[in-house]
Amino acid sequence: MLLPEPIQKLINAFERLPGIGPKSASRLAFFLLRAEASFSDDLAEALTDLKNKVSFCEECFNITMAGRKLCEVCESPERDDDVICIVEEALDVLALERTGGYFGKYHVLHGVLSPIEGIGPEDIKIGPLVERVKKGEIKEIIMATNPSMEGDTTALYIQQLLEPYNLRITRLARGLPVGGDLEYADQNTLLRALSGRQEMD
Amino acid sequence: MYLKHISLTNFRNFTRLDLDFPRRVIVLVGSNAQGKTSLLEAVYYMAAFTSFQTHSDRQLVNFLAAREARKQVVVGRLVIDYQRAKSDHRLEARLIMEPSGVNGMRLRKEVLVDEVKRPLHDSIGKFNAVIFVPQMSQILEGSPEERRRYLNLTISQTNPAYVRTLSEYNQALSQRNALLKALNDRRSGASASNGGNAQQLGVWDEALARLGAKIILWRIQAVQEIERLAARIHHELTRGKEVLRLSYQPAYDPLPKPQGQLGLEMDTPVDRSGLELEDIREGFIESLTRLRKEEIARGMTTIGPHRDELRFLANSVDLGHYGSRGQIRTALLAVKMAEVHWMKEHTGEWPLILLDEVMAELDLERRADLIKYLGESEQVLFTTTDLNLFPAEFAAKAVIWDLKDGNVSRRKAKG
Repeated sequence: MLLPEPIQKLINAFERLPGIGPKSASRLAFFLLRAEASFSDDLAEALTDLKNKVSFCEECFNITMAGRKLCEVCESPERDDDVICIVEEALDVLALERTGGYFGKYHVLHGVLSPIEGIGPEDIKIGPLVERVKKGEIKEIIMATNPSMEGDTTALYIQQLLEPYNLRITRLARGLPVGGDLEYADQNTLLRALSGRQEMD
Repeated sequence: MYLKHISLTNFRNFTRLDLDFPRRVIVLVGSNAQGKTSLLEAVYYMAAFTSFQTHSDRQLVNFLAAREARKQVVVGRLVIDYQRAKSDHRLEARLIMEPSGVNGMRLRKEVLVDEVKRPLHDSIGKFNAVIFVPQMSQILEGSPEERRRYLNLTISQTNPAYVRTLSEYNQALSQRNALLKALNDRRSGASASNGGNAQQLGVWDEALARLGAKIILWRIQAVQEIERLAARIHHELTRGKEVLRLSYQPAYDPLPKPQGQLGLEMDTPVDRSGLELEDIREGFIESLTRLRKEEIARGMTTIGPHRDELRFLANSVDLGHYGSRGQIRTALLAVKMAEVHWMKEHTGEWPLILLDEVMAELDLERRADLIKYLGESEQVLFTTTDLNLFPAEFAAKAVIWDLKDGNVSRRKAKG
């Protein structure tokens, strides 16, 4: 039996989502078929709003409400203008904001360098970062890319690019998680924690 | 270290096998195609988590069981209990084949150390084994890839960091190759933008050199140490007639070549022992920078540990090219025995020694030599088709197992 076209279309759409296979896709589609009309309406509205009402900050490329030029962080007069924290994704901004311990601004790259996937410097937001630095207000750059090979390589690339501007360039510390057990840390992490040890104060 | 028990499920021709191992010399007797080599393969798998025979784990799962994998989940399971430094441990490997997509399947590998799931790179080297099978003459005669694989398998067993570094190196290498290819395409005008510029190459050079330098240094050390041990054993095996040398030839050679000389003669011993990690790394980057134009033109990385070579020489003659069957066998035996002692030096424990059909390949004197070298170790597992190949007094002391159709029975001592 062939499925009616609207259902098949929805299943196909779901299948394109990350982490969703053919089985989950049909389960979701049939759930929606049975659910009340208001549920699908809400979902549909949420999906259209996602594209219509969300946009990216012109300064740091963080996500923000549509119609606004700048995101909350960039607009806030209380944030330091001279420190920029570089992250891979907007979600990383959220994680850092939750700490409540960072008062500078951000720059979201929207990806990392990965020649295999065909992602080069022009495909992520490195150019606009250099433009920001050129304005001359920035004194420190904090690299907060993920500690993966691609993340590290991207950080190194940016560092080399920004060398002529005479900035202080720092990187997030690597090491032991707070509340973690030393004996369960893997060798690599422990080794990095050891080489990055600090004076006790 | 010694093996106490092995349990196999759906591995090669064994649908099920449970076997207690005594802590001594075991001789496994059986006709062809009964599963002798598969048993050795299973034991070795627990040391390296890869087979010495095949690059594909899929082939390890029982053939009949694997046919069902398109419909339901099939698990090939290997469990060993062993003693190391006077305490008992257990290792388990699961080769899980599951249906995926339409009529397809995929294979997943899980490793448990003392019943806790661990990443593969943390599990290699918990249990050590040295294996010697006749087809290993490929290490001497085969392609350079065989020799790199030999080096990798050997070093990983004593150096856990090697496994991780090697896999990171390969990741950096793939990224760099993709970039070189993109730059090459752009040069020839094939595509306008696929994510590459030449400046970006510098950071991949750094990653490649940082990881590659470590691998080169570890290989230099390992080859030097194994050569020292192997040369001594080889000297005895050949009754002082031949001198064995292992010549490590890194594709990026950190040793500065003398002015005006293109390359060193292979039979000139080269001492790389004084090299420091930082020197290798810096030199590696310099070479990559120098070769940049050529590498873009070829669209691939032309130097580095992925292209290293290792040659075996007896009296300055390259055995891979000119060695006789006998010379190659003797050299291989010396290298393998050296490996046993090398592992003992590094881990403080004797590795389990696995010998497949070696007696048939050796003359009477060499057989006696081999048995002499095995004297000190803790546990040895031989396979043979014919027990008469072993000296009688040796066979009398060993535990004899008969293997038939995947079943093992212990032979009663005579008299």
